[in-house]
Amino acid sequence: MNTIAKQIAACAVILSTSAVWAADDGLVVLDWSAYDDENFFLGYIEKHGDMPVFSMFGEEEEAFQKLRAGFKADLTHPCSQSVPKWREAGVIEPFDPSRIERWDDLNEIMREAFKYEDGYYLVPADWGTTTLTYRADLVEEAEMESLQVFLDPKYAGRTSIGDNVDDAYALAYLATGLDDWTKATDDDFRKASDWLRKAHQNVRAYWVDGAELAQLMGSGEVLFSWAWNETAVTMSADGFDVVSNREPVEGSSDWFCGYANVTNQANDEAKAYDFINAWMEPRSAKYLVNDWGYGHGNSAAMAELGEDVINAGLGEIDAPVLSQVPMDHALRENMIAEFEMIKAGF
Amino acid sequence: MFAASEFSRWRRTEGFKGLALVSPPFLYALAMLAAPLAAVVLFSFWTQDYLTLDRTPTWNNYRTAWSETIYQVLMLRSLKISALVTAATVLLSFPIAYYVSFYIDPRRKTLWIFLITIPFWTSYLMRIFLWKVILGYNGVVNGSLMGLGLIEEPLTFILYNQNAVILTLSHAWAPFAILPIFVALERIDRSLLEAAEDLGDGPLRRFFRVTLPLAMPGVLAASVIVFIPTIGDYVTPRLVGGPNGLLIANMIELQFKKANNAPLGSALAISAMLIVAVISVVFLWLNRRYIRSRG
Repeated sequence: MNTIAKQIAACAVILSTSAVWAADDGLVVLDWSAYDDENFFLGYIEKHGDMPVFSMFGEEEEAFQKLRAGFKADLTHPCSQSVPKWREAGVIEPFDPSRIERWDDLNEIMREAFKYEDGYYLVPADWGTTTLTYRADLVEEAEMESLQVFLDPKYAGRTSIGDNVDDAYALAYLATGLDDWTKATDDDFRKASDWLRKAHQNVRAYWVDGAELAQLMGSGEVLFSWAWNETAVTMSADGFDVVSNREPVEGSSDWFCGYANVTNQANDEAKAYDFINAWMEPRSAKYLVNDWGYGHGNSAAMAELGEDVINAGLGEIDAPVLSQVPMDHALRENMIAEFEMIKAGF
Repeated sequence: MFAASEFSRWRRTEGFKGLALVSPPFLYALAMLAAPLAAVVLFSFWTQDYLTLDRTPTWNNYRTAWSETIYQVLMLRSLKISALVTAATVLLSFPIAYYVSFYIDPRRKTLWIFLITIPFWTSYLMRIFLWKVILGYNGVVNGSLMGLGLIEEPLTFILYNQNAVILTLSHAWAPFAILPIFVALERIDRSLLEAAEDLGDGPLRRFFRVTLPLAMPGVLAASVIVFIPTIGDYVTPRLVGGPNGLLIANMIELQFKKANNAPLGSALAISAMLIVAVISVVFLWLNRRYIRSRG
């Protein structure tokens, strides 16, 4: 054959071999963007000398589609709402608790929440709160005692809500007086949607990640928001007078995420357990609480941190708390559809 | 034996060489473009039921896509924004192309064209973020206007709405409009312009009667090049569009991801494609008539 044909053949060979390179390391973790922070798993690096291979996602549905399309990974990082669906779709499988060193120290409620007939599906890793977060230097603190402030016409164009259906509906259910969404009736759902539709009138932008919200609040354009507690921690560290109020009369919400064992695994499981054991070390918990403002799945390590936990806004509170536990998937799909309508102005 | 010699004879023909040359790109296009497109068409006739796909063919997705208000509004909004972006881009690009073609020393034209592409050396996302910095609440525009004492409160209608989407897209697509218009202007025989002047046309009449009609193919190419991709853009509206600046492409992305309804997303995508195709064909036809009536 002529040289052009040879060159084409050579290109084909190069293309087909380069596809293999994605999975040559001993551990592939499909994780939220920014979670490839080595301080979370120093123990793993000490043992194996190198970082695992990370594949990042910005949103759980993206990760889910990727796994269903056959992406090979060892571990992934869903939040509580997604676990039942991922399990039903068969993309994740149970862990063997005997291989997790600090199993008994893990947060019992979160750990047991995902115990099914065939075993434990989630190792609780990180949790946090979603709260009314405001610029204390720009608003009257007295007004920040109720979630109804999101409807005040005075703040048109000055508020922000997360572009996240669970957080948004947690806010709406709390504001309409419901703190357990597993008990939500159709009527509750309608009331919450109507509330959210009114709150939409004041929203400047729906924030997608913490950095975007920090920009919106840092410029003073957004005065208060429904935000993860990370925002108050990181913005205060940057010198802004930002306060996270977990105790308005209607309350606040909390959520948790963890590591799940991917069915279509890329490698031997030993390294996956090493990674989880490294994550569950007390030093990882300390880093997560102090630098990220989130709670850690190892409750024994959290208890040792004491003061730090309260400062990060993770202690006990005296207001209603809506926990973002899994709900009926039909209701959740309705929530997703309705939230998109509301955001588009319908 | 006979077949083999027949084959080796055929291998020496022009036809075989042409086929050999075109086959790899053709197969590549088939695998990378036609196959995914066919998959999207197939999907649009199926139904998503939580985790499973119901493969019985149905028109329901199309019915939803064409009858529900939200999709109608988003589609119309996308068309409106794309039309405005196209108009703004072409109107602003024409003077630049004209200047480069008619007033720049021919030896420096390549340099100028090269300079026009410089914004493309940075990532598109970087450019969108820079627009956020420029248009933001305490950004460059508001800071300057407040510093000059022209406004007291920062302007909020310049970011997180449809204006911001139009502005950002027009800037991003400008080079794609400048280049085809420039090429069309370059092809104009300068003696025709002299002839127009000799026959008594002033600069304005000369422009509208000679230059513009001859540059029309370039203007048209620019319009189509800008109009078609901007309808499908979803990054820009997501970042600078705010609550009311979302477009049909955002809805398509959403159906495939969060809403977990790939069939409806496919139906929306195919519908959008059809609408764009119809508009482009009408546009081409109108232009052909325009050129013919002038010719």
